Order: sequence, then C-alpha cells, then structure tokens
Amino acid sequence: MINLVGNNNFYVKNENKWWILVSILISFFILLPILSVFLKNFFQDGENTFDYIWSTLVLEYSLSTIYLIFLTSFFSLILGIFPAWYISLYKFPLRNFYDIVLFLPLAIPSYIMSFTYSDILSFTGPIQSFLRNELPYIYPFFNKDYLQIEILSILLGFALSPYVYSVSRISFSLIGTAYFNLSRNLGLSSLKIFYKVILPLSRPAILSGLFLVIMEVLNEYGAVKYFGVNTFTTGIFKAWFSFGDVKTSIQLASILLVIVFILLRVEKNSTKKTKFHYKINTKSNSLIDLDKRKLFTAHIICIFPFLFGFVVPFLHILNNSIMAIKTINISHLFELTLNSILISFLSAFLIVLLATFFQYCERLTRSKVTGAINSLISLGYAIPGAVVGLGIIILFTSINYYFDSVYLIGTLFTLVYALVIRFLAVGKSPIKSSLEKHPKSYDETGKILGLNPLGLFSKVFFPINISAMIIAFIITFVDLMKELPITLILRPFNFDTLATQTYEFAIEEMLAKSSVYSLVIILIGASMLIILKKIIYKNNYVS
Amino acid sequence: MYLEVKDLIKYYNPNIQLIKKINFSVNKGELISFIGESGCGKTTFLKCLSGLEKINDGQIILNNEVLNDKVTYVKPQKRKVSYIFQDYPLFPHLNLKENITFNLDSIYEKNLSYMLSLTNLENLQFRYPHQLSGGEQQRACIARSLIREPDLLLMDEPFSNLDNSIKESIIDEIYKIIRHTKTTTILVTHDIKDALNISDRILVFKAGIIQQYADPIKLYCEPANCYCAKILGDINQITFDHEVRFIRPEKLKVVDNSDYIVLVEKSYFQGNIYKIKGILENLPCHFFSKKPYPRNSKVCVSFKEKDLIFFDSLCLSYFK
Repeated sequence: MINLVGNNNFYVKNENKWWILVSILISFFILLPILSVFLKNFFQDGENTFDYIWSTLVLEYSLSTIYLIFLTSFFSLILGIFPAWYISLYKFPLRNFYDIVLFLPLAIPSYIMSFTYSDILSFTGPIQSFLRNELPYIYPFFNKDYLQIEILSILLGFALSPYVYSVSRISFSLIGTAYFNLSRNLGLSSLKIFYKVILPLSRPAILSGLFLVIMEVLNEYGAVKYFGVNTFTTGIFKAWFSFGDVKTSIQLASILLVIVFILLRVEKNSTKKTKFHYKINTKSNSLIDLDKRKLFTAHIICIFPFLFGFVVPFLHILNNSIMAIKTINISHLFELTLNSILISFLSAFLIVLLATFFQYCERLTRSKVTGAINSLISLGYAIPGAVVGLGIIILFTSINYYFDSVYLIGTLFTLVYALVIRFLAVGKSPIKSSLEKHPKSYDETGKILGLNPLGLFSKVFFPINISAMIIAFIITFVDLMKELPITLILRPFNFDTLATQTYEFAIEEMLAKSSVYSLVIILIGASMLIILKKIIYKNNYVS
Repeated sequence: MYLEVKDLIKYYNPNIQLIKKINFSVNKGELISFIGESGCGKTTFLKCLSGLEKINDGQIILNNEVLNDKVTYVKPQKRKVSYIFQDYPLFPHLNLKENITFNLDSIYEKNLSYMLSLTNLENLQFRYPHQLSGGEQQRACIARSLIREPDLLLMDEPFSNLDNSIKESIIDEIYKIIRHTKTTTILVTHDIKDALNISDRILVFKAGIIQQYADPIKLYCEPANCYCAKILGDINQITFDHEVRFIRPEKLKVVDNSDYIVLVEKSYFQGNIYKIKGILENLPCHFFSKKPYPRNSKVCVSFKEKDLIFFDSLCLSYFK
C-alpha cells in the first residue's frame, strides 16, 4: 500500500493564497450593504407591518411590476432580435450605419425617453397640436391620456432594445452563415431557419440580454414614477420618502432582493440547460445578398428602433433645448456636466480596476472561492439602485456607534461606493469575456519564462486586455452618466448631476428646461458609444 | 543520471491516481518520447516536471538538484525547464523577436542571432504572431524555449496542429536543433510515427504506470505486453505449435504454399506497396504485398519462427 502524502499541507496549500484573501476582503466590503438590508429585517424595532404590506402593497406592486416586465420584454425582443438578424446575415445598403446607430438608444436614459414622449404625445405637444389644427375630424381619436403602463412599456422597449440587439448580434454573428447554408441545403425556408435553427442556438445569449432588460425595468425609477406606475422600486421610495416608513421600505427591498435572486437562479439554470457548444465560425462570414423585396423589409426593421428609440426623442430634446437655452444658467450646466463626468469617471475607473482584479484573481487561483466571489459581486447589477442606496444608509447608520460613520452618508464616498456595487457587473462582463479568450497556456508560458503573478499581469494580461478594459470603462461610464435612483438618495447636499437635474425639472413639468440637461447626457453617451463601436470593430469582436 | 523521477505519484482526487508511482531516468542530451492514449496523464506528467503541477509523492531530480519531493518545491519560474505547449502560445501583443526575448536574462541575449538563424526566422523577427504560419509559430516557440539554454526541454504534442505536408520537415528541423544544442528533451505525443522517427528512447504510459521504456527498435520488435505491441502498430494473432503467438504484418511473406491461408477482404493502395486486410484463422490479419488481391481470393503466407512474439494468456483478452 502506498502511503499517500498528498493531504500534507505543503502540497494542498494554494501558492496564491494572498490573492484569495484580498479578494475575500474586498468582496466582503462590496457585499456588506446588500447584506445589511436583509439583516436589518431581523433587528429593526417597531411595529411589524409585514402582514399589512403583504395584503395590500405587495400584490399591487407585484402585478404591475410583472405586467410591465412582460410587455417591455416583448417589445425589446421584437425591436432587438429582428434588426440583429438582418444585420448579421445579410448584405444591404446602410447595413454598417444601422449597426452603429442601433446602439444609440442606450445613450438616452429611459426616464428621459419617457419624459420626452409624454411631452410629444401631450395635449400641447406637436402631434396633438397638429391634429387639432389640421385634422380636427380625427383629432378626438388621439386626444387621450398617454401616461399608461402599456405606453411606458413600449418606450422602455425602445430604450432597452439595444441590450437584446447587442447580444443577438454577437450570437448570430458567431453562429454565422455555415449553419444558415447547411439549413438551406436541408431545405428550410428563411423563416424556418430563423426559428428552428438560429433562435434555439441563440437562446442563451438572448436570455442574458433579456435578463438585463428585466433588471433595468425592476431598477427603473424616473420613468415609472412619471407614468404613475407602482413597481417595487417606486414603492421603496414612496414608503421611505413620502411616508417616512423605513421598515416598510426595507421589507419591500428584501422582497425585491428575493425576487431578483430567484430570477438570477432561473436565468443561470436556463442558460446552463440551453448552452450549446456549437462550432463558432472563426473565418469571416460571407454575408448574403438581399433581394429587392426583402430589402424594404430590412430597412423598415432596422430604421424603426433607431428612429423612435433615438432620432425622434433626440430631435424633440434638441428643439426644446434650443428654445430653452436662454433660460439656462450655462455655468450651472457646465458645473453639473463636470459633476456627472467626475462621478462617472471616478466610479468607472474603480469598477474597471476592481473587475480586472477579481477576474484576474479567479484566473490566477482557479479556486472555487474566487469563482463564487465573482458570481456574488455581480449580484449588485441585479439589485435596484434604490435597494443599494438603502443598504448603504442602513450599514453606515448601524456601525455609527463604532466609527461615527453616519457623517459619511451624503458624501461623494458613499455615492461612489454605491455606484461601484451597482455597476461592477457591467464592467466585469467585457473583461471576463476577453480573459476567457486567452488560452491557459499563456499563464503557464509566463510562469515557465519566470514571471510572478504581478509580472504576468503587467507584461502579458494588461497589454492584451487593454481594449476590453477600455470597452468596460466606456460601457460603465455611459451607464453611470444616466444613473438616477442612487444619486438621488446618496448625493451630497447641494450636489446635482445632469441626471438629477433632468429628473427634477421633468417631475415639475418643466420639460423644456430639463431637455438641455438631457441633451448633454445624450451627446456624451452617444459619442462614447460610437467610440465603443469603433473599438469593437477594430478588435473584430463581431463580423 | 541527468533527470531522475522516483516513485512519482500524482492525483487530483486521492481515489483516482493519474500517475501511480513511476520511476525512470534520462541521460543528458537524450530525446525521450512519452506516448499513451489521450487523457492518460501525459500532459500532467510534463506539468509536474515543469513545476506547473505539484507532485503528491515521490521525487524529481534534475542535474543533481531536487526540484520536487516531500519537502522541496522549486517554482516553475526558478526551474531551468522550458516548455513548448500544444497550441504555440505566442503573446499576440509582441512581435516574434519580443516573444523570443520575453523576460529573458541579459546573459542569454547573445544567443538571439544564433537562435534566429537556427530556426530560420531571421527575416520574420518583426512580424506579429497572426502574420506567421503554424510552422513559423512553432519554430518561434522552440527558439523562445532554447534561447535560455534550459536543462530540460518539454514538448507537449508539438506537431498535432500541423498539416501533414509541413509536419515532416518541421520534425526534421526540430530534431536538428535539439541535437545541435544537445538539449535533454521529453516529447509527449500520441503519434507513434513521430516517436519512432526521432526518439532515443520511448516511454509507453498507460493506466498511470510505465508499460515499457526502451529504444524504438526494441520496443517495436520486443514489446513488453499487448498494449505496447498494439500501440506501436498492427499485430496479427496466429497459432503456432498449438500455441497463440503474435507477428507484425511486415514479417508475413506471401508464398505459394503454406498452412496459413488468408481470405482477402480488401487491398489498400499505399503508394509503393499494398496493405492487405483479410481473415486468418477467423481473426483479422494484415500483411504487405507488391500487388493487390481481389476480394475473397485466398493467399498463402509464411513467416520465420524468430519473428513470433509471445505474450501471456491475459493479453489475449486485449485483442478481442
């Protein structure tokens, strides 16, 4: 019998244990506010209002949230999948143009989209005014209250469709023309190929895009508040700010957390089950020429999300801005722009730094602990900003006895802290996929050639992943520029950003004035997204 | 001995040992091939030698220095062991010259021009990996490994990604380079032809243990067991003096008359010769012939008694 010494500590100890330890410490700091929300339920004094919440608010909030999610998902799928299909598979004029501009609705925050369309569709808006003056016979059909949940879901569908578009576009592109040609050879029509081959193969990708859409709807505050729809996020705000009932808002936040965890599990399981290991087309795909009949359809399908998701709101905002510019304090606008850029830049920088650290740590240690940490820190994105903000306040008031930490609430520190928690997953995603592309033999070659973990990072992984880090920075920066609920809760006194100012003017029905601030957000976001697309093309991420 | 491996055990799960107490040694300058089926632990063994994996028991000694045992573990960064990976991992952000001199001690920089000329890469040194062919990338990996004058060179399936058209010339080139630099080398491969062509000795590995460790001729002609016999090429089972014996196809000769009659199934054209597949004594049989035979024709074959190979009775089940 051989005496195995493999359980000896010397053999099993991980040579990168310090990396694991630091990773645990930082992730604990990141997860603490989310944990605080849960723990607060058990230590909160006062009357137990859970039964009351359950019987009254939860049912109403649940139904309207589910209804909104269902409709928004439907519209964003329609607006995302079909253009992606045409652009990935077919060659037609303006294809490259559409491919860039179909990302642009992301530059318009959903709350700005909602404010703008409600202005366009209002009694004094351009459509109703035109119909009233020019076509009075049909005007009564259009004289309606458009602040309906169904209209909101269409608008959110436009604003969030790029999430579905981008993942579908990459997935369709990776599947490429090989399966398409094979299916044609097997006698399938284009329609059958789409729903029998391409859609099933892309299901995991589309589900992950849809998951982002659902999370965004759950997190949405500005638009749903403006439309008067009661979702969990508005409920948390209402309970806290309108009724001063902190316990109810914590309990609502906890219910929301549970829902998010369940959704996350469902998404993971369904992605796992439907993950196909199909052979990716490594060679550039040859695009298929479109016949004239289908050309018209392709243009309509591609232009529709761009027109109503970007051009119409942008032109309306531009028009409003030109009218309102004289009433705007330019130095104040400049100050708010700098505030937004400062907060977004600082948070995006920290997010990229942390995301890179966690991802590299997982790769380096190949330990289950770092793998689990990477999954846990992604939870932040699935949790509405309001809950993260609430978590930070609970945490800092709870530990006030030891650290005088309550004074930190309402400082830039807590604001950036919350934004990092909420958006870490956004920055993590491009870095993760970039790191996964490099073979394990890079690490091993580096080791054999004498590099320690830091040397391996600085000499190999940093230079070859720099594009992914820039992409991560831009995506996070654009998201942060639009962020509203966390900034509303945690911003320092007398500190405004473009997003908060837009919201405040809009909520007071000063939509023209709010447009100027919206315009700056959109212009910065759109230019960053165009740079992003250029980098992605340069790196040949998709054909 | 230059490299000594004593009682080496490696596992990821204590209940399933991947490498079970193996012992062998290598002389300086020798080229050893390590052959076995996919997943048998060949790559893991190379990683143990390079330090990318720690061993669970035993000892590895290289050039009189203990690299790994119960109390010692020399990190891969500190070992003078070079490793050529299966997928030619050249760093994509560096050109060929930068890849070869990557993290190189200044004392070895003098070797650069020699290595470039040896690998015939002088004119390509400013190209990036994506601008190089598979063979050029392979040679660049070899140059990167040899420039630091390693005590031991490990090659993990280095030819598996190459086209047949260039594979032979690359193997020749690598062989020349290794011989020229007198580098002790261990080559892991599943292709027996590669191993037979260039190795001083071949180590056959299966089920976590060494089946045979011998020079190519001995291994081919005197396989230690059925696995070694089978892995090195076709072998026929025949009955001789009422006992079961084995014989290589090339040792069977076509004759006019014999007790051994093969019923032909197919003749495979192989350029200068035909490989004939048939049935002999109700078992599959192969032999070579200068001309093809029609299906269902009967061919008499004969052999010399000294070419027969004997294995113990347990081996028979392997051939079923």
